[in-house]
Formats: sequence, C-alpha cells, structure tokens
Amino acid sequence: MANYFNTLPLREQLAQLAQCRFMHTVEFADGVEALKGKKMVVIGCGAQGLNQGLNLRDSGLDVSYALRPEAIEQKRQSWKNASENGFVVGTYEELIPTADVVLNLTPDKQHTSVVNAVMPLMKEGACLSYSHGFNIVEEGMKIRDDLTVIMVAPKCPGSEVRAEYVRGFGVPTLIAVHEDNDPKGEGLALAKAYAVGTGGHKAGVLMSSFIAEVKSDLMGEQTILCGMLQTGSLLCFDKMIEEGIDPGYASRLIQYGWETVTEALKYGGVTNMLDRLSNPAKIKAFDLSEELKVIMRPLYNKHQDDIMSGHFSKTMMEDWANDDANLHKWRAETAETNFEKTPAGDVEISEQEFFDNGILMVAMVKAGVELAFETMTAAGIIAESAYYESLHETPLIANTIARKKLYEMNATISDTAEYGCYLYNHACVPLLADFMKGIKSDVIGKGLDVDDNGVDNARLIEVNTALRSHPVEAVGSVLRGYMADMKKIV
Amino acid sequence: MDSLTRLDDIHLDHIRLTKATVSFDDRFTLSEIDWTITPEQHWVITGPNGAGKSALAAALAGIGDIQSGSIQGVPNNVEIVSFEVQAELIAQELKKDDADIMDVISLGTPVSEMIFDHCQDTELAQSLVEKFGLSNLLDRAFRKLSTGETRKVMLIRALANKPDLLILDEPFDGLDVDTLAMLQAHLASLIDTVPMVMVLNRFDEMPDFITHVAYLDKERGDKERGNKERGDKGRLKLTVDRQDDAAFNELYQLLHLKTTDLSVPEADPTNKLPALDPSQPLVKLTQATIQYGDTVIVDKLDWTIERGQHWQLSGPNGSGKTCVLSLITGDHPQCYTNDIFVFGFQRGNGESIWQIKQFIGYVSTNLQWEYRVSTSCKNVIISGFYDSIGMYTKSTDSQKKIADQWLALLGMQDRADQPFNKLSYGDQRLLLIARAMVKHPPLLILDEPCLGLDDINRQLVLALIEKICQGSETTVLYVNHHAEDQISGIEHYLALKKNN
Repeated sequence: MANYFNTLPLREQLAQLAQCRFMHTVEFADGVEALKGKKMVVIGCGAQGLNQGLNLRDSGLDVSYALRPEAIEQKRQSWKNASENGFVVGTYEELIPTADVVLNLTPDKQHTSVVNAVMPLMKEGACLSYSHGFNIVEEGMKIRDDLTVIMVAPKCPGSEVRAEYVRGFGVPTLIAVHEDNDPKGEGLALAKAYAVGTGGHKAGVLMSSFIAEVKSDLMGEQTILCGMLQTGSLLCFDKMIEEGIDPGYASRLIQYGWETVTEALKYGGVTNMLDRLSNPAKIKAFDLSEELKVIMRPLYNKHQDDIMSGHFSKTMMEDWANDDANLHKWRAETAETNFEKTPAGDVEISEQEFFDNGILMVAMVKAGVELAFETMTAAGIIAESAYYESLHETPLIANTIARKKLYEMNATISDTAEYGCYLYNHACVPLLADFMKGIKSDVIGKGLDVDDNGVDNARLIEVNTALRSHPVEAVGSVLRGYMADMKKIV
Repeated sequence: MDSLTRLDDIHLDHIRLTKATVSFDDRFTLSEIDWTITPEQHWVITGPNGAGKSALAAALAGIGDIQSGSIQGVPNNVEIVSFEVQAELIAQELKKDDADIMDVISLGTPVSEMIFDHCQDTELAQSLVEKFGLSNLLDRAFRKLSTGETRKVMLIRALANKPDLLILDEPFDGLDVDTLAMLQAHLASLIDTVPMVMVLNRFDEMPDFITHVAYLDKERGDKERGNKERGDKGRLKLTVDRQDDAAFNELYQLLHLKTTDLSVPEADPTNKLPALDPSQPLVKLTQATIQYGDTVIVDKLDWTIERGQHWQLSGPNGSGKTCVLSLITGDHPQCYTNDIFVFGFQRGNGESIWQIKQFIGYVSTNLQWEYRVSTSCKNVIISGFYDSIGMYTKSTDSQKKIADQWLALLGMQDRADQPFNKLSYGDQRLLLIARAMVKHPPLLILDEPCLGLDDINRQLVLALIEKICQGSETTVLYVNHHAEDQISGIEHYLALKKNN
C-alpha cells in the first residue's frame, strides 16, 4: 500500500488540506433519520467503541458488536463490555454481512488487519466508518468501490463522549467523507446522522476531509498538545528542583498548572491566558515565548514536514512491525522521570498562583500554540483546522495530566500520538538546554520578585497588540463565538 | 434518686416540658412536646397556620388540659398577651353589659381601671400609658376601644405587672410603626430580667434579642395507627439556635414554603408534552431481570404503574431499587434486553432515551452528585425542560418566567443568578425537585429525596413534595426507607428483597 496523500497532485493535496468548516445547527435537522432502522455493527469494544455504541443505541439506533472469536471465547474485557451492556455480540462472520454500517473503532495499528478481515464480508453498498483517517491517508488502504467511507471523530476520550451525552450534551466532533468512496452520495448524510446519534451535533461539528484531519491531527498531538506539555513538564520540574523549590510543590504546580492556565486559554485564547498575569509577568512571559519560538521553530517545521512527506508514518509503522519496541522503551523512560516519580505535595495553590508562579509554563503554551498554528497554516492546513488541533485541544490534554500526570496523558491519547509525542520530546529537551540555563525560579516556582507592578507603557502596548493580532486569536474568537451558542451556558 | 432526676432538681429555674400532651377542648392537641427554656433564653414560636403556636404559648400560661407528660418550672407570675385572652376580656366586658338590668346605658370598665387595678408598678404603667399614647383614652370604656387600642391596654397591663415569664402571642400585629419601635425597644430593655416567649408569623418582625426559635407543624391525619384523639395535632418539629445562621435561614425558608399562598407553577403552555394514550399504563415491566455475570440483582419482576397510582418503592440497600428505576428512566443498559413498556414505547424499537425522559421528572442523590456543572440556580430549574444536566441551548421567555415562579415558591428569588454549586446541599435538593417538576411530567420519580439531609432540610423537602402532590396530575413514584418520611396519598407499595 502506498501513502495515499503522496499519490495526489499538489492542487488536490492543497484542496483537501483546506477543508474545514463549522457546521450550522440547521444542517442536523434530519436527526438520526439516515441511520434509522439500519444495522450498525461496531468493531472494537474499548472506550470509544463501547461509549459511542451506548450513545447511538440511546438515540434509537440498532447497534451490535463484532469481536474476534478469541475475544468471545475467552470472555475478554471487550466481550464483557458489550454483553453486560445488553448488546448483541457476534463474530465478524456472523454480524458483518448483515451490517449497513460498520464502525471501525479499533486502534490505528489494527486498522489494516481489521479492514482486510471485514471488507470481504461487507454487503454491497454498505458503509465503513473510521474515527481517524490514518489508515486511509497514511497507509493508503484501498476500500472496495461499492462501499461508502466516512469518518466521525468525537474530539474527546470515550468516557467523555458518554458522560456528555448522558448530561444531554455531546462533545465536539469532526466528520468527513472519503471522496474516492462515496458511490451513492450518501456519505455526508450518514456521517451527520452518526454525529447526531453520539450527541456531537449539540457541541459543534466540523466538516473536514480525511487528509486535513490526519495531517493536522498528527501535527497538533505531536507538538503543542502532548509533546510540548511533556517537555515542559520535565524541564520545568527539574529546573525547580535545581532552584531549591520543594519537590511536592513543584510537582503540584506542574501537574495542575497546565490545566489551570489552559482553562484561561479555552475561554479567551492566548490573549486571555496572558492577561491573567500581572503586567510585568505578562511582558516576561511574552519575551520568553518569543525566544522559545525562535529556538523551536525548526523543530515544528521538521515535524510538519515529516508528517506531510509520510516520513513520520513510515518510521512509526516500522516500529509497529517491530512490536512497538521504541514505543514501549520510551514509555518506560517517561515513567522513570523525576516529575513522574514525585507525587504532588499536599499544599494549597490558588488558581491565580498557578499563573503567577508558572510564567514559563504560560510562555511555553503560548509559544507551542502559536508555532503549531503558524506551521500548520504555512503547510496549507486551513486556519480552522489548525485552531482546533492546537489551541482548542490543549486544555483537553492538560486535563489528563491533572488526573494522573504524563502517564495518564499518554494512556489516554492514541499510540500514534504517544509515539509522536516522544519523538518531539527527545528533540526538544536538548534543543532547550541552553535556554533553560538562563531560567531562574522567578519565572517558574516563585514568581517575579518585583517591588511594584510598574511597566513601560509603550512596551505594554506593543506586547498587548502583538498578542491580540496573532492569527490564531482572530480565527479563535470567531469559532469560540459559534461554539458559545451551543456551549454550556456558564 | 438517680442522677438524671438530681440534675433536673438543680435547674429549678428551667421551664421544662416533658412529653407534654395538652388538649384544648376537643379541637386541638399539642402532642408529646419536649422543650426546655432556660432563664437567659428568649424564644419565638413559629410554624404554619394551625400548627399550634398559640396553643403552645397558652400551655405555658397554664391553659389547656395536660393529658400526659408534664410541664414544670413555670413561674407563678406569668403574663400572656394574645388574641384569645383579649377576646375573653372583651367577652367578659360585654357580659357585664348584658347583666345590667337597669335601664341605663352601661359604660363598662374604664381603661384606667383595667390598667391600674391590675398592675404592680403604677409608675411604670403611667409611663407606658404615655408611651403608647393612651393618656386621653383612660376614661373611655375598655369595650369601646378599637382592637389595636385594647391590644395596647393588654400589653401595658402585662408589662407593668413585672412578670417572671412574658408570653406575647403576635404582639406586633396591628401596631403602627412608631408604637412597634417603642415596644421593641422596651422589650429589649427587659431581656436581662424576664425570659420571653413570642409567637410570630413573620420572621422579619423577630427582635434581635431572640435567641431561639421553635418550629411547630401540624401532624398529618394518621388513621392507620388507630388514633383516637380528635381534632388536629401539633408537634414541636425543630428548635433552632439563632446563632446557627444556616439553620436559621433554612427555617425561614421552611416557614415560607409552609405559609406561602403561591402554588406550584403551571407547565409551559408554549411547549406541551405529547399526549399519552389514557388507556395504557404509564409503565409496565414484564419479568424484568438485571444481572451482572452470574449475579442477579433483579429477578423476574412484574410491575405496572397506572396513571394516578402513586407508588412507594422500598427495600434494603442492594435490593436493586435504583436499578429498577433506571430501567424505567432508560439509564440502565439492560433496559434493551428486558420487556419494558413506558409511555407508549415498547423499549428497543428505535425510540431515543430523550423521548422517554421527556415524560419523567427525576430526583436522586446521584443526580445531585452528577449535577456538577457551574450554572445558575435559574438555569438548573430550566434544564428540567430539556432533561439535561446544565443548559446547552437558549431558554425561552416562557421557561424563564416559570423558573422565576418556582424560585418565588421556594423563597429563593434573590438567588436566581447565583451559581448552583455554591448553594447548601439542602437548597440544591430543593432546586432539583423543582427542576424535576417544572414540566409537570406524567411520572415523578423521587429516589430517596431526603437522603443525606438534616432534620430541617428534610422538613423543607417534604413540604415541597407535599405542595407538588396537591392537585397535580403527576403520578408519584417515591423511593425511601425512612418510615417517618411519608408522603400523603401513596397507597401502593412495592418492597424489593435482596437477592443473594
């Protein structure tokens, strides 16, 4: 199989990368009608598989689970998940031939074998659904011509997908139709109905393409979302220990700090996150982030280039073929880092203190978000996609670190994201070595040591203008405006 | 002599009611009152109409027949000012008039005689007459006075008599603003010399020196227990220390709920629920079974809930009460593997859970735990229209209006925009009950609505539920294992057993 993206002419690549729009509520007026009475068979009963299935069934749709014979015979967890929740469970041979829609909700690395097993069993004109386009775009999986291929990707962990549905809401969801496989032109209608069935339409749906989803998703998760937070956690922690900060305090400041500062990001973008700092601290954070952006830009470019060229997926698939040797090694190394091994101390840190004593963390988030956004848009990814895969998702990942540190983050994200995150971290830590030498506890751990909060007017205006005029802020305020209509009323 | 009795003897200056049951003709009985008043305390007795507030005040003054228990330590010199005593005095005066056989117009007892013949401290009486502005009425016949004026005479008599216990039943009723302020100031000057007990219907009239509040309520009709006593019964439900701000505020709210003229707000006229076929039951479970692996939680349960049939579901922990409820609400995944008919839907035929939930109002401790989104009190009520936790769409004007009416009923108008998660546990529960009822669902499920609540909040929740049950079309399914938290009107019972 050849990398699908690389088989396309440049204009087609650019056209596909430029797809992403926020869909209007009225586009979902038909509800789940397009899937009513159709047989939906889910493959894989992990967190996404089970929870999406629960939602779809509660929306009045017919859902069952196809598992491998071993999983059924040995009553594995996936079998228990499905059967204890009252679903019909059967083998591929039993269920796939009856399916109108097959939902492939297995991990990326199983896609090729799963699709190869399933495709011959699928009935003429059925639909195959993915939640990530890696298999199609990077591995170049060719799907039978009579089958419709769609993607419905809730942008949250499976547990959230269910919890939000039960509350009467949903999670933001990305949908796409694979244009090479839409023989009956019904792909979009099916994808929309599926998004309604999981509750996604209440939280906002993005219409994208397989290619835009894969290329932006990979870039975001490797750099700002997971890579930057991992590198930042390790460097900031070690620096605080070096500066004599209490390890328990340092651990807590980082574990919960990302979540707290990116909460401000979620509400009002980079501008609001920086506005939470005092004026001198804001200028300090701005200067640090400018410095970081210069140092890290080549690394962001390299990640984007490797993603676009297929080099990244090629090396990762080599590791798949090698029983994930690198992934497991790097995972074990992360578990042995000082930050990971030092439990958060039993100290009270107020919400504001996370900002005041975490100036460097704020600077790292700002630098990472802006760099990822700039790099993606420079590579032809539309601003909307770039916004969602950088700024928008950062708080979601930060939440996982607050739960159980880097372990939880890497356990929650896909293996693909985790692999890319380690790649980034390995390159970024040495890259920032010199920079970190100049860092003291005034920007991480203790807060600025100033007599008063006086600043130079001209400089403050300069900084505020730069913050507010960054392109990620422009697209962000528009998209947050759309979302506000459907978001929780706070 | 045991130690307890000795202890009692030491506190001779305590007024102590011990399981005192006092009857007033055949009309009313105070039932098993336990209450202690120490000399430095000043009490307000409050409660809804007919709860026996005046009766309790009168009992302290020796009125009524003690059927059982005891009232001890009441001093000899007790003064009581109340409408009943006032009425009696006026009746006596009118009798004098009737008794007059001479063909002259009787003038009746003059005010001066009413006051000065009675009192111990003439000087004090004189100054009070001036303060109350009665100087120019001293020669007038008592029975010719207006109600307000006779009330003032009563107050002067009582105060000038320097009692050892002063009982004032609605003393501020009908007084003008100046007199009220004067009286309050005078009472405040007495706080170190005489314990006071007042009956007040309105909390805002409560003087600052009041240290404790007693709350009475009517006993519900109790035919099952073969009650032979006739008439209504009043019970002392709660006593609250004024220092306890939280309890004091809750008591205020309770009194509001019990006494408000407001009724349960109507359903939203602009968005009616789909009509249900009246010939079908609301819920029908057939051989319902819930099982995890080999563990059977609910075993072949048949249960039909007809419209208007209020049910109480009980059973020990682990007997599957909540599981059964979640089969009805659609929250249990195994509702798809059971034979369940709800609100016209045979489950598992393409209906969505939102189509089911629209017919149900639901309250449970679990819901309260899950209701952690940060949203305003008003939005919590409105979210009941959408069966959602939190609000995700813009509410309509009609919904906002109804939510305001509910907040008024709960006495929480001033908290409409406050964050729900900053409220007390009890207030949250009240709002969630309002949320469950806001759309007037055909079925209201109250899953242990009093669980985790203290006494006063329990009273609050029960008061609200009672209010809801009055004259509503909603069928109530009530789950509890507290025998005393009964809701009137339930006549169907389902008791689950633990399956082992």
